[in-house]
Amino acid sequence: MNAIEATTLKKVFVNRRGFWQQKRKSTVAVENVSFQVDQGELFGVLGPNGAGKTTTVKMLTTILLPTCGSGSILGFDLAKQTVEIRKRIGFTFGGSRGLYSRLTAKENLQYFAELYALKPDYSRKRIPEMLEMVGLLSRADDRVETFSSGMQQRLHLARALLHDPEVLFLDEPTVGIDPVGARELRQTIRALKQSGKTVLLTTHYMAEAEDLCDRIAIVNHGKVIALDTPTALRKRIRPESVIEITVSLDKASTIEQLIKPLDGKLRVESRVTENEHHYSLYTPAPESILEALAPSLQAKVIQGLQVRNQTMEDVYIALIGESERDA
Amino acid sequence: MNPVKRWIRLYFIQAWFSYRALFAWSTPFNYIASKLGFPFFSMLLFIFLGQSVGLNDPVYIVIGNILLLPSLNGVMGISMTIGGEKQFGALSYLLGSPAPRSAVFIGRAFFHIIDGFIAVLVALPIAILVFHLDLSQTNFLLLALCVLLVCITSTGLGFIMGVVTLLSRDGWMITSTLALAFYVLIGVNFPIEALPGWLRGISLSLPMTRGIQAARMALAGADFATLAPLIAGEIIIGAAYILFGFALFRGVEQISFRNGALDNL
Amino acid sequence: MRDTLRFALRQISVQLQIRTFNLYSLLLFFIQPAIFSAVGMILSRAAGNAKPDLIYTVIGGGILGMWSGMLFTSTYDIRSDRRDGILELLVASPTPLRRIEYVRTFTNIAASLVSLLMAIGAAIAIFGFTFAGMNILLLLLAVGLLLYSLWCLGVFLANFLAWSRLSGSLVDFLELPIAFLCGFMYPIRVLPEWLQWISVVVPVRWALQALDSILLKTTKLDNYWFFISMSFITATLFWLLSVWFNRKVDDHIRITGELSSI
Repeated sequence: MNAIEATTLKKVFVNRRGFWQQKRKSTVAVENVSFQVDQGELFGVLGPNGAGKTTTVKMLTTILLPTCGSGSILGFDLAKQTVEIRKRIGFTFGGSRGLYSRLTAKENLQYFAELYALKPDYSRKRIPEMLEMVGLLSRADDRVETFSSGMQQRLHLARALLHDPEVLFLDEPTVGIDPVGARELRQTIRALKQSGKTVLLTTHYMAEAEDLCDRIAIVNHGKVIALDTPTALRKRIRPESVIEITVSLDKASTIEQLIKPLDGKLRVESRVTENEHHYSLYTPAPESILEALAPSLQAKVIQGLQVRNQTMEDVYIALIGESERDA
Repeated sequence: MNPVKRWIRLYFIQAWFSYRALFAWSTPFNYIASKLGFPFFSMLLFIFLGQSVGLNDPVYIVIGNILLLPSLNGVMGISMTIGGEKQFGALSYLLGSPAPRSAVFIGRAFFHIIDGFIAVLVALPIAILVFHLDLSQTNFLLLALCVLLVCITSTGLGFIMGVVTLLSRDGWMITSTLALAFYVLIGVNFPIEALPGWLRGISLSLPMTRGIQAARMALAGADFATLAPLIAGEIIIGAAYILFGFALFRGVEQISFRNGALDNL
Repeated sequence: MRDTLRFALRQISVQLQIRTFNLYSLLLFFIQPAIFSAVGMILSRAAGNAKPDLIYTVIGGGILGMWSGMLFTSTYDIRSDRRDGILELLVASPTPLRRIEYVRTFTNIAASLVSLLMAIGAAIAIFGFTFAGMNILLLLLAVGLLLYSLWCLGVFLANFLAWSRLSGSLVDFLELPIAFLCGFMYPIRVLPEWLQWISVVVPVRWALQALDSILLKTTKLDNYWFFISMSFITATLFWLLSVWFNRKVDDHIRITGELSSI
């Protein structure tokens, strides 16, 4: 049995515009999303803003009803068995909304503990454990309105885990959190996966997706455009290395003269800053490019040089770019 | 751009957008119900309340509640428009912009003044039909002037309450209380002479009181000479409230630069 | 059963903290009724009455406070939950939204009872009102039916509040029409007969008539039991309607996605 199954999920929102004559405008937020997530898997969903990630998560967490399609969580149907699903899942959405600001952290968790029908003995132990896990135990009796947005997000994670759900949906959990906090949160997510939980994570941070996820679905315009392991996704596009070159502005023409004959062997992206010109040379054969650039190295034209493999960001940009062209 | 032209342009453009933002999600029915519904039903409540205690002529109450309409726009509408900046997180961007504050702040009133005036124009014919209101003696020009005056002077209180709403999370509740107090204080349901002395003092220090009284007299056919003292009094008090409201906003803005008062919810 | 009771107590506690103990309640439970009562009293004096009608003007003001208190705290509940992103979390929890609304509405009504008690207190302390000669048990029964009527109406209206922002704003407009049609501050016979027919389906009207018949020391108890029965029947009908409507609301709000609009 899959932990999460989404089958041709579609969601259309209808809005009304205008005052005297209200015109209906339909927006297709999710066009066609299908995937399965195994139990114990950490599954990533990547996509640009407006791709349909959050809407997909909201359908899978029973907050929204799909317009078409079907889905299940741990074998329970999304449309017909919502109560059973709600008992077994936890979720967080990015941002700090969703807490009673006039209540303390502990009181918020106590309230949600009751919503999830947790026994008093259990929640009395569980609430401090969760607060400690997210680093908020010392602030348990402080009102949420005094929390920073990062702290409120951590409290959301504690809320989502309170009832020890089997499946966890984390919608951009590290957005707005400082790098140290984000790293700690990623360690927590890893530990949750290791404890046997199924986690579906949406994120903008490629490195995070690559680091954490067993498989990644890339979503654009409400459709899944790629779904595989990070390694396999990298192989989907032409394997390339990236040579990063930095030169001073007056030396840029020298480099361009060297690169011009190599047209066809590489793809060039460049950007100019106040004092420097940066080139990213994408090529399957970095050695031949470096050979061509050797004279400029000897003449100390190049100020900085780095050769790296493609990152997930490169893969993402290439795939999104492909899907934009197809659209 | 010429600073005067810029001021005028900003005044009207942001007045329109801030007004639209308040009602953008509404429907015509909702809009009309919010403008006329509450005042209409509160008027009916007071009419039947009056009848139950032996006051059988509802005309005084009807006229008073119609003349209250612009006051509600001026006070509630403007305080919601200003307070809404904080609720929607736009206040920081507003305060951080170089836009002249007078255009931005005082301009909020423009469409509420028009709105209030139109509400009276709509309500009067309904009152004529339903309650057989007699306008045969009415000095219509003076009546229009008095109504417009009330529309404008009520905005002063709206500005002050708008600032209160910026400072306090519960500000709009204080504004709602004030709006309710109008039923007692400004001669809507009974003459202010019926109030105890100390309340009458409060009544006379508020904008709208004299304007409503003048409007009643214009409905009854009074001439300008008779109304002049009331109109003059209303202008002075209204101007004082408007200037005070603006000064309060600027003062709070300056204080907020130091202690972040307007940043905190 | 124990779980439900525990949940109810927790919900009551949260509701009191976030909704009841704030400035808004002061406005709804005390100031608004006092203002309406003040208007009534001044109008009464203007009509040449030596003393104001305590039942309708003063105590009626307290009842208006109860109704406004229940209506606006319930409206504010859903509206601010929607704005603060909490409504989504409530809908997506295993506890049905209906159960949450039942307890919230009960809490709002219980809290708004203070408005009635203050009005009665004012009537006793300031105007010398007395319960002498009244059947206290029947009075308490009438108050109980009033609370039940308000609760049934409240849970029914909660569906409109949850349905969408627009339908929720319509609930705001019901405050004064209901007060006006049900005779909160005057005997219902003051209204033209055709208007009296409109409120036949509103349970609060019958509860108020039962209450007034005891407070006014009416001797016709047949009428009293008729009012009590009508109040109970119409209130229960509203509750049954709300149960049916609630299922539709559950699906509708998940289709439109207006769970988190501002």
